[in-house]
Amino acid sequence: MESSDCFIETRGLSRQYRVGPAEIHALVEVDFHVQKGEFVAILGVSGSGKSTLLHLLGGLDTPDCGCVRVGDRDLAGMTSMERTIYRRTVVGFIFQSYYLVGSLTATENVALALTFQGVFGAERTRLAAESIERVGLGLRASHRPNQLSGGEQQRVAIARAIVHRPALLLADEPTGNLDRATAAEVMGLIHQVHRDLGTTVVMVTHDEEMAARVADRVLRIRDGRLEGAGGSA
Amino acid sequence: MRALKIAGLAMNGLRRSPLRVTLTTLGVTFACGALVTMVALAIGIQRQVETPFRALAMLNNIQVRPKEGKDADKAPPLDDAALANIEKLPGVAAAYPDVHIKGIKVRYEKKEAIAIGIALPREASLLGVADEFIVAGRLFDEGNRPEAILGLSVVKELGFKTPAEAVGKQIALEAAGLTPDGGDKFTYQQTTMALTVIGVYEAPALLPGAARQGILLPVELMKDIPGIHLDSALSRLKSGGPIVTSGYASATVRVRDPAMLHEVQVKLTAMGFSTEAMLNKLQHMRQFFLAIQMLLSVVGSVALIIAALGIVNTLLMAVMERYQEIGLCKAIGASDGDLFILFLTEAGIIGCLGGLTGLGLGWLVSQLMELVAGFYARGQGITGRLNLFAFPLWMVAVTVAFAILVSIVAGIYPALRAARVDPIRALRSH
Ligand SMILES: Nc1ncnc2c1ncn2[C@@H]1O[C@H](COP(=O)(O)OP(=O)(O)O)[C@@H](O)[C@H]1O
Ligand SMILES: [Mg+2]
Repeated sequence: MESSDCFIETRGLSRQYRVGPAEIHALVEVDFHVQKGEFVAILGVSGSGKSTLLHLLGGLDTPDCGCVRVGDRDLAGMTSMERTIYRRTVVGFIFQSYYLVGSLTATENVALALTFQGVFGAERTRLAAESIERVGLGLRASHRPNQLSGGEQQRVAIARAIVHRPALLLADEPTGNLDRATAAEVMGLIHQVHRDLGTTVVMVTHDEEMAARVADRVLRIRDGRLEGAGGSA
Repeated sequence: MRALKIAGLAMNGLRRSPLRVTLTTLGVTFACGALVTMVALAIGIQRQVETPFRALAMLNNIQVRPKEGKDADKAPPLDDAALANIEKLPGVAAAYPDVHIKGIKVRYEKKEAIAIGIALPREASLLGVADEFIVAGRLFDEGNRPEAILGLSVVKELGFKTPAEAVGKQIALEAAGLTPDGGDKFTYQQTTMALTVIGVYEAPALLPGAARQGILLPVELMKDIPGIHLDSALSRLKSGGPIVTSGYASATVRVRDPAMLHEVQVKLTAMGFSTEAMLNKLQHMRQFFLAIQMLLSVVGSVALIIAALGIVNTLLMAVMERYQEIGLCKAIGASDGDLFILFLTEAGIIGCLGGLTGLGLGWLVSQLMELVAGFYARGQGITGRLNLFAFPLWMVAVTVAFAILVSIVAGIYPALRAARVDPIRALRSH
């Protein structure tokens, strides 16, 4: 579907890795659309190419062939610095293992992202505190990661990912390290962010039930090929 | 602005491994400490040596001697007539003999001391020089009263409790020596003088005890001391020339303006004397000290370079330990340059801390050494502060700047490694 609301569009997107003589096709000819404000979940077993796709969408990686457009940007043609600025301004990343800086408090972890985004001083403090508040950790703001549970740490990571109000939130198995109850909470939080801020979300998971509950649309990926409907729901 | 804020994150990085960073910084501290101590010593001693040059305004002086060697017998004598002629040269302020006579007896009441007689021109007071060495009384002024200025050691030997007590007292001087009376004959002569003590001087700390053992006499009084022409007459006899009864072995010519030095020197040479400008001597000395300072700096720099290797090591470990974190930072918007600046700043902070503590350490060590040297010097009869070490501001600044610079250079490779971290790899590494 080529509607004017189309936010992400990939065409023939491929990525392969050469390991010795073998060639691994991590992503094969992926044609994929996401509309503005849509919540898309991508299901797939380990090694099916989910992370590779997210890295390409988030401007961390570049495709071997095919194109990937986000908004009016052509990511494949960007320079390294342009992709850095794209990540800085458009994208928020959430990872399975949180990747919080252990020596910083919850708020400081969020503020770190703002520093790289060029927000300083009182504005940075205010935005970081606001974001921590939004994920429900107001009382835990000055705790360090080792004083927080897994679910709380992932909340901090979410606060960090959305502090600059990114248009696109990319979540790579955000509940992979959490028990079911906590996973449901975190999933709920991501859904709430999506709803409240209108953020477009692409989330990778292998929890089918959870995906169906929060996503507008669920896609499957197998051996680097996207299955089912390539268009909208 | 952005770079500054990124640099602000560096302290947080360093706090992560306090022990390792402290040890690495200590390496820089010791290197800088050694560097600073050595260079401060070289500068300090140079200053000590240069003090008399400055304080006595010696840089306007030319030392004049009769020619020696091949044509010495035909060379003109350096006597009062020659000095009078020299004084008439344009640009010359004064010309007076340099005379040191040992074994002069000085008496006050029942006490006696043996002093070294030294001629001091009366103009010295007008030049405003040497003031800083006078600890009581004053320098000679115009006129021709029989006066003397005593060294601190002489004053003590004569039984005065303080320098001020000696000022105004009458002392007796007794000198004996050989006076050439033409041909190859010398007459033994004895002189006594009654003198008023008008001042007491102290010599710079580094000079040996003998420097405080002097009795300074106005030039015209000095000429009455037997033996002042002996050296000149003897060397004349040895070279086979006609005997001169009133020559001096050496004289000082003061020019009004250092710019005149060369011109006057040329004229003196034309008159048949050998000359050496004090400025020239000072410049030779400065070259020597510069060479010493360079040598010490190189030695210290080697220590600093070794310390820098420690910085490379520490930061490479930090890059490895923070591999995932670096990847994460890139994912959330840090550029390669941001990470480069971040690690370079960490190196710079280590260098700055090391440089500052190194300065502190160097200062402490120098104070200790000063104390020990002072203790030893008192055993040798040298009193007062030695001031062996000097910490001029430029040296302090250069040391810290150098420590920071070397550390930042050491940080370049680790910082490049951090900048080149592939975020995807870093985030996949588990
Ligand atoms: N740097 C790499 N070198 C070689 N193979 C890689 C590399 N990165 C990913 N792969 C391979 O690409 C495939 C897809 O990986 P990935 O996108 O991480 O899968 P998923 O996230 O679905 O588990 C896997 O087979 C993986 O082994
Ligand atoms: Mg994955």
